[in-house]
Amino acid sequence: MLGPNVAWYLAIAAVLFGIGALGVLVRRNTLVVLLSLELMLNAGNLALISLARHWHNGAGQIFALAVMAVAASEVCVGLGLVVALNRRELSLDVDTLSELRG
Amino acid sequence: MILASAGNVLVWLVWVVAAFSCLASGVAVVTFSNPFYSALALIGNLGSLAVMYLLLSAEFVAAAQVLVYAGAVVVMFLFVIAYVGPRRETPWSGGPSWQTFGAVAAAGALLVEIVVAVGMQASGSLSHETKVGADFGTPAWIGRVFLVDHLLAFEITSVVLLIAAVGGVILGTHTRRPDLEKTV
Amino acid sequence: MTGGSWLCLLAPLGGTIVITLCGTRIPRIAAAWIATTSVFVAFGGAIWAFLGVHSQHAPNSVGLAYAPSVYHQGEITTAWTWLQAGHFSVGLQLLVDPLSTMMMLIVSGVGGLIVLYSIGYMDGDDEERRYFAYIAFFVFSMLLLVEGGNLLMLLVGWGLVGLSSYLLIGFWHERPTAVAAAKKAFVMNAFGDATMALAFFILIAHTDSLSFGVLNAHLSSTQANLVALGLLGGAVAKSAQIPLQTWLPDAMEGPTPVSALIHAATMVTAGVYLIARTHAIFEQARTIELIAAGTGALTLLVAGLIALVQTDIKRVIAYSTMSQIGYMFLGVGVGGYANGMFHLMTHAFFKALLFMTAGLAIHALAGEQDIRNMRGLGRLMPFTKWCFLAGALALVGIPPFAGFFSKDPIIASTLNIGWYGYVFYACGLVGAFLTGLYTFRLWFLVFPGEPSPFVREHYHDHHGSEGAWTMLLPVGILAVLATIGGWIQFPPHWDPITRWLAPVAPSLPDAVASSTQETVTSIVSVLVGLTGIAVAWAIYSERKIAIPAAPSLRRLLEEKFYFDRLYDRIFYAPAVATANFLRREFEEPVVLQTGPDLGEATIETGGLVRRIQTGLLRTYVFFLAAGAAAVVLAFLIAK
Repeated sequence: MLGPNVAWYLAIAAVLFGIGALGVLVRRNTLVVLLSLELMLNAGNLALISLARHWHNGAGQIFALAVMAVAASEVCVGLGLVVALNRRELSLDVDTLSELRG
Repeated sequence: MILASAGNVLVWLVWVVAAFSCLASGVAVVTFSNPFYSALALIGNLGSLAVMYLLLSAEFVAAAQVLVYAGAVVVMFLFVIAYVGPRRETPWSGGPSWQTFGAVAAAGALLVEIVVAVGMQASGSLSHETKVGADFGTPAWIGRVFLVDHLLAFEITSVVLLIAAVGGVILGTHTRRPDLEKTV
Repeated sequence: MTGGSWLCLLAPLGGTIVITLCGTRIPRIAAAWIATTSVFVAFGGAIWAFLGVHSQHAPNSVGLAYAPSVYHQGEITTAWTWLQAGHFSVGLQLLVDPLSTMMMLIVSGVGGLIVLYSIGYMDGDDEERRYFAYIAFFVFSMLLLVEGGNLLMLLVGWGLVGLSSYLLIGFWHERPTAVAAAKKAFVMNAFGDATMALAFFILIAHTDSLSFGVLNAHLSSTQANLVALGLLGGAVAKSAQIPLQTWLPDAMEGPTPVSALIHAATMVTAGVYLIARTHAIFEQARTIELIAAGTGALTLLVAGLIALVQTDIKRVIAYSTMSQIGYMFLGVGVGGYANGMFHLMTHAFFKALLFMTAGLAIHALAGEQDIRNMRGLGRLMPFTKWCFLAGALALVGIPPFAGFFSKDPIIASTLNIGWYGYVFYACGLVGAFLTGLYTFRLWFLVFPGEPSPFVREHYHDHHGSEGAWTMLLPVGILAVLATIGGWIQFPPHWDPITRWLAPVAPSLPDAVASSTQETVTSIVSVLVGLTGIAVAWAIYSERKIAIPAAPSLRRLLEEKFYFDRLYDRIFYAPAVATANFLRREFEEPVVLQTGPDLGEATIETGGLVRRIQTGLLRTYVFFLAAGAAAVVLAFLIAK
């Protein structure tokens, strides 16, 4: 294949995943947490596509499409939660939403 | 030969640009304090990823990425961000003191492990590359594979989307009486 | 005849069950009569069984002392096989043979009379029904003991009579002394039970059987000695011989009929029965048998001495029982099983009689038992006086009363066994002197003379007579038996009892005294007894001689040779100290604290775990990420 071989793509995917994980763990704004989640999902997608190309297996691309659909659904529900929170005039700070503490 | 090597150089160039913008926009998503800017940075991320998909002979997926992700998901994000209003927040503040350090450690650990795994596999199953035909990744090919070999995944995905749609509607519904809203 | 034995055994059990199930629905007097009739039905069954054995008994001409020809061992009847382990099996078996029928007749006959007596004695007591249930249960247990067809059934009966004794001694359970006495009796009997069980274990280990035939098996001398020692331990505990005798005087805390039945006529004689039944083993371990005889000799002396200073009327009779059982042990110990069993029979008659007349006196004086207050009672209670006299003369062994015929053969039988036989002989004669002395000390202090002020003040009769007819009738019957009961055997002239028991418990040749020895012994012992009576008359009645003042000797006797103090120091005090120590060091800090400590520890752990639930989303995600990292690391390492 032309260009970099699969290991490079996988490396990019790994770094992107790490950045997304960092974002989920560090940010306090719910919306930014959801955006970081998207980053992680995309990193997974990249890995799937690159390995599908490497092994000539179509299932990787199919899986990536399914992941995309799931990501879309999850964002839909998550944003619905944010909207509901906002309607009840609660803070969107994940540190404040701690009523389930022991 | 020269053409081939020129093609190779071109691909490498495109790849470097796409990879760089992907990572840079990723960092931007995580670090901007204004969530609006984070969402915009995500668009850049998605675009560069689409370019990389094209390099990997996944044309349909690239198109779907732009349409679905950038076109629908990020638009939803922007709408909601606009709806909830301005929130500024410094990224590294708050939480228990060990949190930040722990977060960096965990993320770093994951990264290192993945790199090591890939590196170890590089001499194993990752060393056999196969040639792909011209129709690999085309919409027709995807459609056939989706609806013939992986029909179950197709159906389940549709069900998931339905459930998410229903959930989103319920979560977003206005309650009739305003005083009920106040009881949390 | 086996039907008779089953009837005899089960009738009292039926009585107990009926009384227990009816509870308070029946009047107390009905419970009393149910118990009495059940024991008399048992007596009927015993007679039936006796006749059955008699008809199958080998006929032998009168005059032959021992008939070795036809050897009818009696019949065993099995209800079902109870226990089976490998080659060892034991069933619910009854044995009907001469020895067991003799004991059945004594137990159910004298028992029936005593239960009849208790109808009058226990009249008015709140817990009368419980008493009669217990006493019927006791009769059942004692019958099981004597009818048991193998050693295990005997042990079952053994344990059950111990239980009944505990229940009945502690019958008035609000009295702390009664409860303590019951516990003491049970614990000392348990010691005997343990040694018997050990003896049985040895038998099972070497012969795989507990049937009576196993006693004839050839065991090595160590094994035979150990088995005999274990059996002797049980007999000594049950029969209150030295060194396990301290429970019997305390057992007088129970009602008087209980003392008469259990601690005079039947339960305490179970040890004698045991030795007679298992004589084959004892003959293999002759030393142990002679130790039994020696124990008997020692006890009869010690008990006689202690009886001289007792002031409680029942305690005097209790020590007298201990002493007479010593005679029985002496008799069976030297090998004269028929002599011992005959003395057991006559002793049942006159000792029950003595207890019951004492009970009449106690009842008439509203519970007073101290003989120092009872002078001159005979003037007010003549029937009681004459019956007691009959029993006393039988006890001392004055002809023609019963004790004469049974006690002297025992003393005479010791003459042929060696130098220690002479020692036993001397003990027997000294014992006869002491018997006369303490018995008639009791008689002279209580009955003749002018009634004391105490008696005048406290005496109350029972509607004009000395007691209810249910009390007077058995006393009268036993007085007659105490007088004529000995006439059934007068060795060497006629000895139906010896011949009756010969198929199952033949006396050893050494234990048979020649007629000269018998005659001489009889004359000497009667003279010795009369001397005792005379001395008692001199000291206690006519005040001709003062009691010699020997304060240390007196104290020794009053302290019952310090046995109680010794046992207290050796067994009781260390046990209490250990229990207290364990409670302080172990029970309270460890066991009792474990519950609260566990609870506190759980709460603390919960508190620690609770800290994980911070409620912060980021914490949970962090844990997710860290967990994922760890899992991937594990996979990498595994690769």
